[in-house]
Amino acid sequence: MIPGSPMQRVPAAAHNAASSIHVAHSLANALDALSEWGSAGAVFAGGTWIMRSPIRHEPLREHYVAIGRIAELGAVRIGTDVVEIGPVVTHAALAAALADLPEFNVLAAAAGRSANPAIRAMATIGGNLATPGFAAADCVPALLCLDAEIEVAGREGRERMKLEHFLQIRSTLAPGRLVTQIVVPRSERKTAHARLPLRKAGDYPVAIVSFSVSVDAAGRVQAARIAVGSVEPVARRWERLEAALIGRQLDAEGAARTATELAEEFVGRDGVDAPAWYRVSVLPSLVRRAAAAALGA
Amino acid sequence: MALSLTVNGDRVASTADPAAPLVDILREELHLTGAKPVCREGFCGACMVLIDGKPTPSCLTPAALADGCEIQTVEGLATPGQLNRIQAALDASDAVQCGMCFPGMVVSLTHLLTASPDATREDIRAALTGNICRCTGYERIIDATLLALATK
Amino acid sequence: MSDVSATMDLRRRDAADKLRGRTRYTVDRYLPGMLHAAVLRASVPSGRIVRLDTSRAARMPGVRAIVTAADAPGMMGIGIADHPLFARDVIRYDGEPLAAIAAGTLAQAQAALAAIDVEIESLPAVLTMADALVPDAPLVHPNWRDYEVLFEGGAREGNIAWEATVVRGDVDAAFARPDVEIVESSFRVGRQNHVAFEPRAVVASYEDGRFHIETSTQVPWGIRNATARVLGVPASQVRVTVPPVGGGFGLKFDLAIEPFAALLARASGRPVRLVNSREEEMLTCLFRENAEIRIRSAVTREGEIVGREAVVLMDCGAYGGEQIFLTTMTAHTLGGNYKLGSVRLVSRAVYTNTAPNGAFRCCNGVYNTFALERHTDEIAARIGMDPLLFRRRNVLGDKDLGATGQVFEADVLRAMLDRMDTLRDAVVPPPARTDGRLYGRATTVGTWFVFVGPSAATVNMNADGTATLVTSGVEIGSGSMVQSLPQIVASTLGIAPESVTVRAADTDAAGYDVGVGGGRTTVSLGAASLSAAQDVRTKLLKVASEMIEAAPEDLVMRHGRIEIAGAPGSGRTIAEVATCAQAKSGPVSGTGAFTGTGVPAMPGCVAGHFIDAIDIPVFAVHDCEVAVDPETGHVEVLNYRVVQDVGRALNPRAIHGQIQGGVVQGLGYALHEEVTIGSNGRVCQSGFETYRVPLALDVVPVEISLYEGAPSMGPLGTKGAGEVPILNVGAAVACAVANATGKRIQELPLTPPRVLELLLDRKRDLTLPHIAETWSDNLVRPHKTPRGNA
Repeated sequence: MIPGSPMQRVPAAAHNAASSIHVAHSLANALDALSEWGSAGAVFAGGTWIMRSPIRHEPLREHYVAIGRIAELGAVRIGTDVVEIGPVVTHAALAAALADLPEFNVLAAAAGRSANPAIRAMATIGGNLATPGFAAADCVPALLCLDAEIEVAGREGRERMKLEHFLQIRSTLAPGRLVTQIVVPRSERKTAHARLPLRKAGDYPVAIVSFSVSVDAAGRVQAARIAVGSVEPVARRWERLEAALIGRQLDAEGAARTATELAEEFVGRDGVDAPAWYRVSVLPSLVRRAAAAALGA
Repeated sequence: MALSLTVNGDRVASTADPAAPLVDILREELHLTGAKPVCREGFCGACMVLIDGKPTPSCLTPAALADGCEIQTVEGLATPGQLNRIQAALDASDAVQCGMCFPGMVVSLTHLLTASPDATREDIRAALTGNICRCTGYERIIDATLLALATK
Repeated sequence: MSDVSATMDLRRRDAADKLRGRTRYTVDRYLPGMLHAAVLRASVPSGRIVRLDTSRAARMPGVRAIVTAADAPGMMGIGIADHPLFARDVIRYDGEPLAAIAAGTLAQAQAALAAIDVEIESLPAVLTMADALVPDAPLVHPNWRDYEVLFEGGAREGNIAWEATVVRGDVDAAFARPDVEIVESSFRVGRQNHVAFEPRAVVASYEDGRFHIETSTQVPWGIRNATARVLGVPASQVRVTVPPVGGGFGLKFDLAIEPFAALLARASGRPVRLVNSREEEMLTCLFRENAEIRIRSAVTREGEIVGREAVVLMDCGAYGGEQIFLTTMTAHTLGGNYKLGSVRLVSRAVYTNTAPNGAFRCCNGVYNTFALERHTDEIAARIGMDPLLFRRRNVLGDKDLGATGQVFEADVLRAMLDRMDTLRDAVVPPPARTDGRLYGRATTVGTWFVFVGPSAATVNMNADGTATLVTSGVEIGSGSMVQSLPQIVASTLGIAPESVTVRAADTDAAGYDVGVGGGRTTVSLGAASLSAAQDVRTKLLKVASEMIEAAPEDLVMRHGRIEIAGAPGSGRTIAEVATCAQAKSGPVSGTGAFTGTGVPAMPGCVAGHFIDAIDIPVFAVHDCEVAVDPETGHVEVLNYRVVQDVGRALNPRAIHGQIQGGVVQGLGYALHEEVTIGSNGRVCQSGFETYRVPLALDVVPVEISLYEGAPSMGPLGTKGAGEVPILNVGAAVACAVANATGKRIQELPLTPPRVLELLLDRKRDLTLPHIAETWSDNLVRPHKTPRGNA
């Protein structure tokens, strides 16, 4: 038995009559508005999570600052050393922008196969990262395995941090601050994203393995970053598996065997969609699939 | 503050709450009841409309972000009294059953016909991941789409 | 009569507007001055209402009316009147209605709900059938003895809402034979939500002392009568009309939220709209019930089933409802398919403190067929016989006795199995598969029926040569009302089906009808319509015979004319004849009525049954192949084939559409659609994120062969074709997965976690300790003594 989610007596259709939405057209304007509203305000990006608040029986916030139309936050810049991704870039746009960069296969797949086509065209990468309640976000493990950094800005200035750190502080991010950029280093690497929805597509994956390795000319792993999503409440790297693969010839079966030995470090989350044990059980096969896809790339 | 929308070519004003879902404005204020709020969370696709030409679930679009946009609902996709290409193909294929999902299907597929003129059967299936039908088992909808793609 | 096949594959007249978004379903109706309503629901599974005070809510902005239990004095139910409209003192399930409010806007109504002061004392709850059957378990209905009995014959006691039994022959003797193997299997299935895209919705008004209820229902007369019953008013004061219905599947075969809107309309003097939220639909759906089944057979080494016994527990939730009736169906589903030397079955509808269950396409049939077919495969494995050969040997054939002793006609299933062999063997076997998945295939059979019963129809012949068909039938999407019925009327009158107007259901305009469901639309409404059209035809031919000066029997009606047979172009147009008739003796109309004939069962075999034998059996043979991923438990259906007994196909294309859709709903039931109930008594799957119906990527095109020619009392030899396609999908998929994996499949749905659990041997064999070892110990009272020879 899995405990149900709390239900109000009131049916879910109602929306909060008092919410305001300020449509910002520049970052400065958005920061000003957020600063003005303080804790009563929040950022509204694609809206695919916030607009479902009534379904979750969560009240809407009093004020939203819509940032989706801020041009400077909506670009993907592909440089020689890094790729800079604006936070309001949609999943669909991100997948399209990265389509010809094999080193970003993991992220293109994460962005290009999540949810469904219309949602991918609405939901933003920044929203995906900044929603603590969404354990099954595809882009979080994908960006973890790419060693992404997150730039956060407020009126008082900007700071950059590792995505791992951002995930720790995101639910307590001070009012008036928002993600302004995602920076992903470029390098020679083989990457792949293995996600497991319960149907063929269209639902949230119950487990995700995002995989990135660099191999030398002899096929030995020189560097590895592997992240696991949806299994635990927050995605994280699988450092023991990474360490175990370093220096070894990369083969998918071997990686899966090692994953089997190490999988017990995960404490899965029980959900209505899948039990905890299942999420952990499927990890080795996702590692195999990811490794095979990466090798084939 | 009044919002200004362009719906099926008509300029309309609305005094709806800025966070109100577009689907409620279309249905309750404008009496355009084609879009159906079936799941209200972006999974079913029955409330799909074209916003500036892009298929968008109107349940997840707040009024404030529809302000100033060109919105096309299923009611506005064909010349009055006629069917557009996908509507005609779905009709000819006897694809319709209860019909509740079809406004959304038609919006998504109308877009697909122009955006992916070379779509294969598998492409169409994938494109319909966010359009659920509880009656038909999909195959006829896919057949009709292929028929429409072949009909220029 | 004209050839009905001339109108085959008639298109749907409602398709164009549905495709343009112009169709106004109940959820789309809007009346001037309309109020919006919302319902306060309990948030505990079992409790006592200590206080319910609406005075603060009544002062909230926009509130026009509040109604509570005091406004609805009657009790409803099927068999037993155990169900009040609102919880009165006692709360029996999470989500049970406590009060309803109408206000100017939905937001106002919802805000006012929150201002109702409620105090509830929690009571112990029984959330599972196992809990409910524990000796001394809390009773969901402590006063069950006091309820009005609406249908005699069912045994009842405590948490057993209803018990139906079948006993034919000496089962004990069969099991004691030295030459038999005893095979025992246990099964469990969860609930299934219909997910009709149009939620239950109603717009009610109160005018001239009568209620007018516009509602999304399959049963306009059922709504009329049940609403009157709970409101305590004469049924004649309730008029029900039905706009196009956005999906039914059985969900809308019972009273839902209509009385709330009716009461609020009367109290406010304004039209009132009430629409269930998706969450309300998910949590208080009249689900297909969860069930637990133990089945045991005595089978000879040669494969003869000499004895069979089964216990079927059906969770009715907090109120008996449809499950009381559905206990009947076990005799015809679990007791179907095969010849049995002797048999005893008991079906028990069990009360629990959960949301009431209801009817869903092939009610009771899908899980009993799953259980029966898996059990059949286990028998075949035990005696070392090919499962297909075992079926071929044992399926019901001409003159064979069914479980209740009814005599079946014609060799239908065996011929259908042959047809399936032909379909399957025509396919080139695929090359060897090396992707590491486990492959399996299975063929299953199923027995269903047409739920006949009363229907009425009137055909008005218009002077312009068109006809108007007036019935209480509802178009729920299956197409029967826009395809087969006008086809039947048109072919009888020799006019184009487009010339037959079909009146939407209105209980003020058309006579009684059981409702649209149970595969009965084309059969019962079709038979009434055929008879009404024949009445019109007879009258027109009489007039025409005078006009043309030819004997009526020499005349034919076709292509809009009444002509002398063999002389095309002779005679008059039907419009001319109708005009003449109208001038001479008034407008021509005809009426028709139908009900089942009542096929006999063997005396003494059944107790507590609403239907002792089935008037029109419907058979189905399904075949599917699956691939199972041993690492994730994902089951992929690779191909699916159906041979379906349709009697006669009036619109083959429409039937194919029903089969594709029904099979896919069955794939959802078999593989994806899971309902769990939390320790708080609440359904965990509250929306589309967690309740997974099949998507376009999850389905396969079904290969279909319609088997025509089996006997049927339906009009023109038809049988219902829209309900049965879901019947053996769970069975076929489960048997195929069992064959692929070598594991004992005992539960549905086969979600990836459940399959992986089996593959990893994490799951113990299913046991059902609350089903007593000895069959008769499961009965609250012994089956009645047989009066005849078994």
